Amino acid sequence: MASTVIGAGITIEGEVTSDEDVVVQGTLRGKLVAKDAVTVEHGGVVEADITSGPVSVAGSVTGNISSNDRVDLQNGAKVVGNVKATRITIADGAQFKGNVDMDV
Amino acid sequence: MANGQATVIGSSSFVRGRITGTGDLEIAGRVEGDVACSGDVLVEAGGLVAASIAARRIVVRGAVKGDLTAEDAVILEAGARVVGDLRAPRIAIAQGGLVRGHVQTGSAGAARPRSATATASRAPAVSAKAAPVARVEAAPARKQQAPAPVARAASSGGNGETRERAKAATRVGPPPPVVPALKKGTKAVAHHKKR
Repeated sequence: MASTVIGAGITIEGEVTSDEDVVVQGTLRGKLVAKDAVTVEHGGVVEADITSGPVSVAGSVTGNISSNDRVDLQNGAKVVGNVKATRITIADGAQFKGNVDMDV
Repeated sequence: MANGQATVIGSSSFVRGRITGTGDLEIAGRVEGDVACSGDVLVEAGGLVAASIAARRIVVRGAVKGDLTAEDAVILEAGARVVGDLRAPRIAIAQGGLVRGHVQTGSAGAARPRSATATASRAPAVSAKAAPVARVEAAPARKQQAPAPVARAASSGGNGETRERAKAATRVGPPPPVVPALKKGTKAVAHHKKR
């Protein structure tokens, strides 16, 4: 059970800061900072830079993703932006445009 | 997710910006910025909202600094602290809920309570002159069939002060002040009871 949920139909314009999990089913524009996991579900739209723990994307993200853990781009995901993480998976069917930066 | 519609701002989350859209919203964390949604908004006990909220139904158990406008109802439960105006068709403030601001129930008409009370306080001063006389006239007629002028004279003759004031009223142009008019009405009632 995620602690913070941006439901479908809800739009947040601004900055979201959280020490817990964040699930995006709706729309978020601005900035997203989370200490824990961020999940962008199918239908979710994030037009923001994401700084967080593990990131899982099945929706749309426009912006840079910076994670101190892993980033998973699932089937149906659409990501435009740079991704910085220790581990990255891009599933078959995910759309991605941007740079990948992994700690090598 | 299990709850497909509900939006939750968790207890350790902070949103600075505008929240809009459809569906329900539950705030247990901090929100700075306007909130406008077509569903229900619930501010939990630990929730802290520095924003005006517009929704269909607003339930507050936490702290809100801003105006609350609801299409259906505003409900302040125990522990609610609100600094701002409340406006909704139905407003409930439970014991233990704190409010500082203007509260208006009813549909979203223009807020004119101040001018309404001003006219209301003026209106009795004008009508109070006629009303006690009518009451005094009506009461004896029902009780002992006494002629109206006698009853009126008896009522005014009961107190010299009122007779003097009545004489002053007939002699001098300006109407009697507001406060004596109110007193006269109460006296008339007391006198009527004494009988």
